[in-house]
Amino acid sequence: MMSYHETTTPTGAEGPILRCEGIVKTFGGVNAVNGATFDVPRNKITALIGPNGAGKTTVVNLLSGAMKIDAGRVQLGSTDITNMERYKIARLGLMRTFQLSRELGGLTVLENLLVAPKVQAGESLFNIFFRPRLLKREERQNLERALEILRTYGLYDLRDNRARELSGGQKKLLEISRGVMAAPSLFLLDEPMAGVNPALIDKIGGYILDMKAQGVTVLMIEHNLNVVERICDNVVVLAEGRTLATGTMSELRENKEVVTAYLGEIINAGPGH
Amino acid sequence: MAQFWFYVFTLVFFLFDYFILAMGLNIQYGETGILNFAYIGFVAIGAYVTGAVSLPNSVGTAQQYIFGFNLPFPFSLLAGGVASMLLAVVVAAITLRRLRTDYLAMVLISLSLVLYDVINNYVRLFNGADGLYNVPEPMAGIFHLTSNAFVVFFACVTGVISLIMWAGMSRITRSPLGRTFRAIRDDPDVASALGKGVFRYQLTSMLIGSFYAGIGGGLIIQFGGSFNPSAWLPGETFVVFAVIIVGGVGNNVGLLMGALLVETLLIHLPAFLPDIPGHPGLIEYIDAMVIGIMLMVMLWFRPQGIIPERVRRFSLPASELSNRDGHSVAAPAETVTVAAPAANEIHEGDRA
Repeated sequence: MMSYHETTTPTGAEGPILRCEGIVKTFGGVNAVNGATFDVPRNKITALIGPNGAGKTTVVNLLSGAMKIDAGRVQLGSTDITNMERYKIARLGLMRTFQLSRELGGLTVLENLLVAPKVQAGESLFNIFFRPRLLKREERQNLERALEILRTYGLYDLRDNRARELSGGQKKLLEISRGVMAAPSLFLLDEPMAGVNPALIDKIGGYILDMKAQGVTVLMIEHNLNVVERICDNVVVLAEGRTLATGTMSELRENKEVVTAYLGEIINAGPGH
Repeated sequence: MAQFWFYVFTLVFFLFDYFILAMGLNIQYGETGILNFAYIGFVAIGAYVTGAVSLPNSVGTAQQYIFGFNLPFPFSLLAGGVASMLLAVVVAAITLRRLRTDYLAMVLISLSLVLYDVINNYVRLFNGADGLYNVPEPMAGIFHLTSNAFVVFFACVTGVISLIMWAGMSRITRSPLGRTFRAIRDDPDVASALGKGVFRYQLTSMLIGSFYAGIGGGLIIQFGGSFNPSAWLPGETFVVFAVIIVGGVGNNVGLLMGALLVETLLIHLPAFLPDIPGHPGLIEYIDAMVIGIMLMVMLWFRPQGIIPERVRRFSLPASELSNRDGHSVAAPAETVTVAAPAANEIHEGDRA
């Protein structure tokens, strides 16, 4: 079976895929991110956890270029991507999803995937008018791959529906499958399990493990610690914009600082977290 | 009888010309989401430059204008299209990198007003408030056409040009480039996160749309022989917006429908009606009111327009799909089937 994960490998195939050194982001005098430092190991699933307001989503925004970094440095492979334009970071293989699903609503489900490959010959006016065969060939390859991904993610039957017509859970799946279509080397998932039913949580967990098996590195923000424990190899804990600790989930449960700052409130809140 | 055909073909000319203009605005607004309230400025630049390059040198004439190259058709028309594109580069560089949606629209309408004032007052450019006139009728001399025959002839030429431009636009909107434009329209942040350089694509869209605006403007001056600031008051932009909103944003057939309803039937047809006794000019005001009411009604009850944007369906050839998993492969009428290229096609594609 053809693999639909044809990842873009950033230069520098050794060491962590992403290195984040002392990044700072200030909003009107408040440090939303205050020197966060961590590595994302290659071909692993890393969770980014922490209490609300810890700066997790801001970190994802900074890493993906959606916001400018005030201080610090981010390296993807051997490329310094600090404050690089967002689309250039994406072209290096870093894809992301959003906390609230952001589908391309006027496009169909299938078009959402077809638009994802980062550079397409069919996006050039010259090719459109003078190289129709090249376009046809490329479009066919993309179509095959997109249909295969949609089958895998259970969205095949919805392929001709406009994306805005999907349910919340389906939009989550669409966003993830769109990212997969873009063949990332590093995939940032911002709360992929938020607001979805338990059956779908299991499914999404399976898809993430499948991505890892295909060579994609994943960094995911997640509050569901059961999921984190089950699928993540490595956990980074953020608190007040700083890295509090890193390690496996079982290691972190023994870390008093982490328990005090975050895990304590989760454990006290009882099951469901 | 000749007069009747003169009227009919004048209407036909404006139908096709506004179809071209609507396609240009549609690629910018309908496909890419750029609210270009300066669109009529691009039309005007196309008209002025087409006129100025097809006129002889202005020395010794009553008019003042730049160029005066005596260029024949269609080079004069192409010059108008290119001039509009050059203006688009300047406007895009000023606006598109930093501004979005309503702020972009406000700056664009301001730019349109600045352009209007400059052209209206700087007489040396395009003869100021008097505008350009006596612009040669394209090919009338070659075919020995009378004025009435020229109207018929040029309406047909415009029809052919609009069909060619329709084919070109359809190719663009159906391509991956068109899909990327629509992705940017729906959410530029997501498009950017997918590796699309939003500014580059918006600039491309502006250039394509401006070329259409310039050609549409150039056809107007070559059809009528004159063009002055009263023809492109900034409010005229909204007539083109009305064409695409009424017809159907994002649908080329809808644009033709919009051009027929708004521009041909509501604006130009009543211009041929006799005045209401005692109320000269009243029809024109009623026209404007009807267009405004029509816009409101459409936006309220049918914002997608008379012929809405199509859902684009894609499928692999039937044999391949049925081999895979037995899914239904019946292709709806609008389905784009991406056929497998023949072996030699792939080979040639590789070489190209």
